[in-house]
Amino acid sequence: MGLTKSQSETLSQRVLDLVEADGASVRISDSEDLQLRYANNDITSNGLVDKIKIDLSVSYGKRSASIGLNQTDNETLKAAVKKVQAMAKLAPEDPEHMPELGPTEFLEPKTFSEATAALTPEEGLAHIRPVIEAARKAGVDSAGYLERSVSSSTFANSEGLIVFQPSTSVNYSLTARSAEGRGSGWASTQVTDLAKLDLEPVGARAIEKALATRNAVERAPGRTTVVLEPAAVRDLISLLSWGLGKRGFDEGRSFLNGLVKEGEDPIGKELFGKKATLFSDPQHSAVPCGIHQNGLPRKKTDWVKDGILKSLSVGRFWAQEKGIKPQPHPGNLIMPGEGQSMDELIGQVEDGVLITRLWYLRMVQPQTLLYTGLTRDGTFAIKDGKVANPVKNFRFNESPVNVLKNIVASGKQERVMGSEGAMPMYVPPLLVNDFNLSSVSDAS
Amino acid sequence: MHRRDWIKGTSAAGLALISNRWSVTAAEAAGLSDRFPGLAEIALNKAQSLGASFADFHLMQTDKESLYVREEMVQGVDAGSSLGCSVRVLVDGAWGFAASEEISEAKVASLVEAAVATAKGQAGWRSQPIEIETLPAHVGKWELPIEVDPFTVSLEEKVEGLLGINRSALGAGANYCYSYVSIVRERKWLANTFGSRTEQSRVRIHPSFSITMVDQKKGEFASRASTLPPRGAGYEHFRDWDAVAEAALAVEQAKEKMAAPSVTAGKMDIVIAPSNLWLTVHETVGHPTELDRSLGYEANYAGTSFCTPDKLDTLKYGSDIVNIFADRTADNGLATIGWDDDGVATAGKEFPIIKDGIFSNFQMAVGQAELIGREGGSNGCAYADSFDSFPIQRMPNISLQPGKDDSVTAEDLISGVEDGIYIDGNGSWSIDQQRYNFQFTGQVFHRIKNGKLDGMYRDVAYQGNSVDFWNACDGLGGKDTYELGGAFNCGKGQPGQVAPVSHGAVPGRFRQINILNTAEESGKKVASLDPTKINRSCDCSGGGNTSWA
Repeated sequence: MGLTKSQSETLSQRVLDLVEADGASVRISDSEDLQLRYANNDITSNGLVDKIKIDLSVSYGKRSASIGLNQTDNETLKAAVKKVQAMAKLAPEDPEHMPELGPTEFLEPKTFSEATAALTPEEGLAHIRPVIEAARKAGVDSAGYLERSVSSSTFANSEGLIVFQPSTSVNYSLTARSAEGRGSGWASTQVTDLAKLDLEPVGARAIEKALATRNAVERAPGRTTVVLEPAAVRDLISLLSWGLGKRGFDEGRSFLNGLVKEGEDPIGKELFGKKATLFSDPQHSAVPCGIHQNGLPRKKTDWVKDGILKSLSVGRFWAQEKGIKPQPHPGNLIMPGEGQSMDELIGQVEDGVLITRLWYLRMVQPQTLLYTGLTRDGTFAIKDGKVANPVKNFRFNESPVNVLKNIVASGKQERVMGSEGAMPMYVPPLLVNDFNLSSVSDAS
Repeated sequence: MHRRDWIKGTSAAGLALISNRWSVTAAEAAGLSDRFPGLAEIALNKAQSLGASFADFHLMQTDKESLYVREEMVQGVDAGSSLGCSVRVLVDGAWGFAASEEISEAKVASLVEAAVATAKGQAGWRSQPIEIETLPAHVGKWELPIEVDPFTVSLEEKVEGLLGINRSALGAGANYCYSYVSIVRERKWLANTFGSRTEQSRVRIHPSFSITMVDQKKGEFASRASTLPPRGAGYEHFRDWDAVAEAALAVEQAKEKMAAPSVTAGKMDIVIAPSNLWLTVHETVGHPTELDRSLGYEANYAGTSFCTPDKLDTLKYGSDIVNIFADRTADNGLATIGWDDDGVATAGKEFPIIKDGIFSNFQMAVGQAELIGREGGSNGCAYADSFDSFPIQRMPNISLQPGKDDSVTAEDLISGVEDGIYIDGNGSWSIDQQRYNFQFTGQVFHRIKNGKLDGMYRDVAYQGNSVDFWNACDGLGGKDTYELGGAFNCGKGQPGQVAPVSHGAVPGRFRQINILNTAEESGKKVASLDPTKINRSCDCSGGGNTSWA
């Protein structure tokens, strides 16, 4: 178990009590992680890791500094406080420094499960073992990773604000590869509550794809109708979310600047397709997330509704400059789905590609939010409404803006892992037109 | 004592030796050094008594400092430190590992018990036992040579150094500029059941900046980042950098880039500066030749590799002039160290990865060479990025060697190109999970016309297949053009670990490489596009053009 609320809050107060400054904030992060990794159907590296982190910021007027440490005896804490105070006094004034927030109301955190916290290493191994044994039986090599995290975080400051968030999660993914190395399948799951963890169907999906992708043939690249499974959707959407910032737009260096005329406000404009809706909700039952960002409360927020941009994240300084309310970055993202089955989505495609997941996504052109990356671990041609055959993987060059403009239909939401970050996301598979598959990759 | 206990306000027993753990002084490190042998004996004896055939005990301290300046505002003054220990055991052919930030005799003993329990939990369903080679015992200390300890340089000097960059950029007309310096010191203690007892310390530093020009009317902007790489070095690396001049140059180049014509996609000859080519070496040679990837250990994350053991000594990885060498001993190398995190001495373990164009060796940690029938065991490539990280195979310094003719310069290579691009600075990078298909951008794309630089292009990316690319290399700079690039943040493993690594490179010339227009890729219509030059065929994806010796 991680620190209790009382222990974490007591430690935060101990740290704040040592500080002699105009303002101070401290974050106590504590975690106990179980890490089980395997490859070639055997456990490889693994670990049981206790960690604590104290991040302390202090300020004198507009001068500030911060320090992080992972030891909590009094002597070390005093030395760290002395050091960070000296640093802050030496730091030049930052005209954008903001004073500490006062106490405020927060939503109740929904991110903790007793059952998940109680998972032992033996039980973790017992969850994995049948998946490995199924891979052996199917004659495929599987590699996977299960991480159970039990963590807590207290954020407190010199103005009396204090907020505690306990969290649990199990993240699991596996890649199954056919024995001759030409077929590869991947699947994943992410849960807050251990009761929802069921690895065997996840393993079965990966194994099935490994066997189904063995004889991939080359398909010509180009702009193509695609069905993106939720893992691919979440990667693209999370990258978009990082671009939804007000200050970048106001300064003229956002992709949004290319979508509106000079002087126009992008909020309220239909910048995406009518089927694009995105919101965040810290208390969402499928994907609960952090209830604050550095003490700024998170609430249910519409980001895009029916294609119309509804919100941009705004830091405290910029909000003050512009006379608006600050808006923390989302802690989760939910995209409602139309509930169509995968067969129904695929059934609408005459000639296209089914994509399981994406890999190595990197920004190519911030002006258009153009990202590159590759398909991986389950790429199939769709012909006349049916999955026809496995195809070689593609490099894509595409902007999530275009993806949100070109949604034709969507399926049932899932909570899965992606390649880009572990932010909880609940997204459906999407049928998308004109996805730019730029070149072919021999990777299998 | 459990770590919860000091929440009550007590000091952890035995930790009073270290008074200033956010930044360990030499004397304080000596305190850790004094305690290390006793803790190691407890860990190793207990591990062996519980049935471990091998065990090691790691103690690690990481200190960090970073400063961030936006325009003329100092917005980040940050220090950080982490300290902790770990135990790794090999029991009945299975690994177990446990780590904690608490350093006490009782905690070390409990870590051993936890690690052994995890290893034993695999009994009965492992298919292959893990075996490692017998390693020589090493006892000693190693320290990366630096001139000026950056942790001792005053905050004022560091801040002034960054402010100077930003003032230069803003003075030259930049709309925005940020500059940043990151400093890291690692101290590592290792003991293993082969008898090794080592203590090491190294420092690395990365000063950097990025400037942005904005045209609000057109809704366009362009950025240009600095090209100074991070190094295993002291503060002298920052002091010796003429950052003020580069910031002013960056502004001029960003202005020129914004006004430059958009490139026409198609096949072109390119010359790549070391400031860009180091990253290509990293992605197209470094990662594919990691043996753990090749054997499937990374299949669920970073991927596997086209470079399989059957291709050793046969794959024609590059043209005859391509030589790529690996070491953990290069001056100022970010991967340079005395002993790796398996306890293998790095001196004498240097090795060629590509020799005269032929694939010659993998990077290996313990227990891997035997799996492919190579003698000599590990070549010293294990690394753990934190006290709580399991050591895994990570990159040594991997560097493209100069061509045979010492006199060749970048200008000489450019003079051999009729119509092409000279690419400087690294930008975006992406490569598939088996390391065939890559796509990279850069910071500045100089147009080459009739053997000379002639203005700039924008919207450029080069894309290809790793083996085809290196076989298309027909010119390399001489030894005077060699530069050591690198990065702090190479990612690998689950849980993710971040490793620092250097890559030396010389300018290289590559014939008929696929150039993409990134604006066109995003769906924008680009004026003056010649559709006959667009190459969307699959010959860039390898296979057919791969040749074998």
